[in-house]
Amino acid sequence: MKQVFSCSGQELLDMMAVGSSWLEKSAPDINAINVFPVPDGDTGTNMLLTMRSVMEEADRASDDSVSAVAKAMAYGALMGARGNSGVILSQIFRGLAKGLEGKESFDGKDWAEALVQASHAAYQGLSQPVEGTILTVIRDVSTSAEAAAQANPADLTCVAEAAVEAAKNSVARTPLLLPVLREAGVVDAGGQGLYVLLEGALHYLRGETEEMQYRKPQMVTADLPLSSKAAQLVAEPEEPYGYCTNFLVEGQKLNPDKIRHRLEGKGQSLIVTGDDTNVRVHIHTYDPGAILKYVISLGTLHQIQIQNMDDQHVGFVEMQQERLPTADIAVVAVASGSGLREVFQSLGVAAVVPGGQTMNPSVREVLQTVESVPSQKVILLPNNKNIILTASQVQPLTDKEVVVVPTKTIPQGIAALLSFSYEGALEEAAQAMEEAIATVKTVEVTKAVRSTQIKGLKVRKGQAIGIVDDEDLVAAGDSITDVLFEALDKVGIESVEVVTLYYGADVEAAQAEEIIQEIGNKYPEKQVELIRGGQPHYNYIVSLE
Amino acid sequence: MVKIVTDSLSDIPDQLAQELGISIVPLNVHFGTETYRDRVDISTDEFYRKLQTSEVFPTTSAPPPGVFVELFTKLAKETDEILAIMTSSKISAICESALQGKDMVDARCHIAVIDSLQILAGQMFVVIVAAKAAREGANLEQISDMVRKAIPKAHVRGALATLEYLKRGGRIGKAQAFLGSLLKVTPILGFIDGEAHPIARVRSWAQGTDFLVNFVKGFPKIEELAIEDATTPDEAEILAERLSDIFPKERMHRTKFSPVLGAHLGPGALIVSVLEGE
Repeated sequence: MKQVFSCSGQELLDMMAVGSSWLEKSAPDINAINVFPVPDGDTGTNMLLTMRSVMEEADRASDDSVSAVAKAMAYGALMGARGNSGVILSQIFRGLAKGLEGKESFDGKDWAEALVQASHAAYQGLSQPVEGTILTVIRDVSTSAEAAAQANPADLTCVAEAAVEAAKNSVARTPLLLPVLREAGVVDAGGQGLYVLLEGALHYLRGETEEMQYRKPQMVTADLPLSSKAAQLVAEPEEPYGYCTNFLVEGQKLNPDKIRHRLEGKGQSLIVTGDDTNVRVHIHTYDPGAILKYVISLGTLHQIQIQNMDDQHVGFVEMQQERLPTADIAVVAVASGSGLREVFQSLGVAAVVPGGQTMNPSVREVLQTVESVPSQKVILLPNNKNIILTASQVQPLTDKEVVVVPTKTIPQGIAALLSFSYEGALEEAAQAMEEAIATVKTVEVTKAVRSTQIKGLKVRKGQAIGIVDDEDLVAAGDSITDVLFEALDKVGIESVEVVTLYYGADVEAAQAEEIIQEIGNKYPEKQVELIRGGQPHYNYIVSLE
Repeated sequence: MVKIVTDSLSDIPDQLAQELGISIVPLNVHFGTETYRDRVDISTDEFYRKLQTSEVFPTTSAPPPGVFVELFTKLAKETDEILAIMTSSKISAICESALQGKDMVDARCHIAVIDSLQILAGQMFVVIVAAKAAREGANLEQISDMVRKAIPKAHVRGALATLEYLKRGGRIGKAQAFLGSLLKVTPILGFIDGEAHPIARVRSWAQGTDFLVNFVKGFPKIEELAIEDATTPDEAEILAERLSDIFPKERMHRTKFSPVLGAHLGPGALIVSVLEGE
């Protein structure tokens, strides 16, 4: 390994070229973890293409001085920046060029200064800097580089090593700062890209470009509380996490450095950024009250967020299992059969209470489910005549606001759920759902449990019967299929657009396929759909919309 | 006179932009390593042909700040006030790019960048308001004020033929709630507070177009109305016909939405936008 103390413009160019090809190897991995600000999976590609433009311009530098090469790079970044991370990268190059201006060559101290300028430029460029991104990484890099340069001002390799080390640690911490990363269980993609770029540059300085051919940049693992599993296994007392406290102070003549100084020692992961009128503070502390008491004396507080990190920790675990859309109104449905449960879940219910015909859930079961969902407002879909009453018993037993939309069948419940409005208040949402019940007709086919005679229709025990809207017995016979088609005729299938057939646990998929094809042939104008409902008791449930 | 700048996601037809003196900055569409400037290097028709035949899914990106530096510098020779009205910063980096470009312009010219929090014809309406005011001699401050007042009055709704493109493109925002449905649904999206929101799910395309008609009918007074499609002009025509008793057909804006959006919405989407009247 060699120790480089100073570099020319040409060497800066080579160093960045190596960084850029190192980034190229990592681009697909970086794309894969891109979730912020939009999860469009192109951060790696965007940074790489920005770097290509940087390198093209670097070749056209007016002379071999570091100053000229850095300036050309900044121009290349400016003209070639792609996407959010590319735009920030272009600011970083702008800062580097500013830091290296007028220099023939650069040493450790110069590089540290350039990185500090780069960090400033990156923050200044953004109207709303977000921590836990490439921004945080460049700032941490510049801070460490500065410290290393104070110890070894002439040693470029030493400064570059400190920068890479800081980048790696900073990337690992990004999920702690940016909830969306924590939810997805990834580190920041742009930050990772910057780390890889700096690491590639360091490999060049160390003269390791040969070895790089057979290697690939490592993805940084998130430094999440969860990864302290090993420590828990040896039964060490679990450290409490405290409160993640975030806020913005607005005032006059604020001094971010002074605020940072005052808050140091009051907690961990302290970040204070801003200027004399706006200062953003992030700290993990056991006593958020003391922090707020201090800053309130400086100005007004905004965007205050205090989160118990133990909850965040639990939240992270839950999030890994399933990421359901959060809404301030939760819908809870009653259904049985794995297929029907999945249909309801796929349409966004917060929970499904198992139950239905002949197996009505208890008030306690419904209540427990209502209590378990993470919303204060709950809409209940009983989906069965006999469960409506049970559901309406829940409201007096809970602090939550509960509204029952009286759906009597599964198709009514699904129609109601489909018309759930994401805007508006609880009552309005429930109202819209109740109105939707009238837009759907239900046909259920099952076996008669006893012999009877209703409205002149004789039914023997064990025969198939067709029921409309859970009330009217319209068909009976020995063949399930015949009864189904007879019931469909009687319900007025002509006037509907969409026919959905949910087949029960006792029905083979192939049988159901045949029936849906027959419906399609008989009524070619209709949009038909076949879903495995897996429900007990009913062979078929048909929804007509 | 204040010069008005916007981007290609506003879907302003070229002719209207020329009439009103609006400069349009194109976003980029990428098929793998090939890059096209929205509607400059690739026409709407070519794009959808490629979208259906290309093996790689297209991605889109905002232009670099340098493009804005060049444009602002050029315009600064003709005027001393420029207003750039950009697509919502919540879904595109273009607003940030314009802000950075603005900072680097070395000219005695006052440049303001406004985050429209809009897209599609919603953004177009706001830009038209600005361009008309500029033509009538309003200054930068007055126009900025009018734009800010117009932004909450623009409403965009779209019926998507499929969620596939939105899912692959990643810019799905809160519409995530629509994903994973086991039933076939026609999703209705709205663009609210700068990002895509789920509005409703209906069971058929016919119900989807009904929804759009009812949405327009809900406004007591309509200043502007736009209908946008990509590859389905017949559908757009039927919708225009159905809306013609509410709003004169000759005053409706009929445009194609940008390929950049087509990559996310899919070619079959139908969009209706309304600018509420006073």
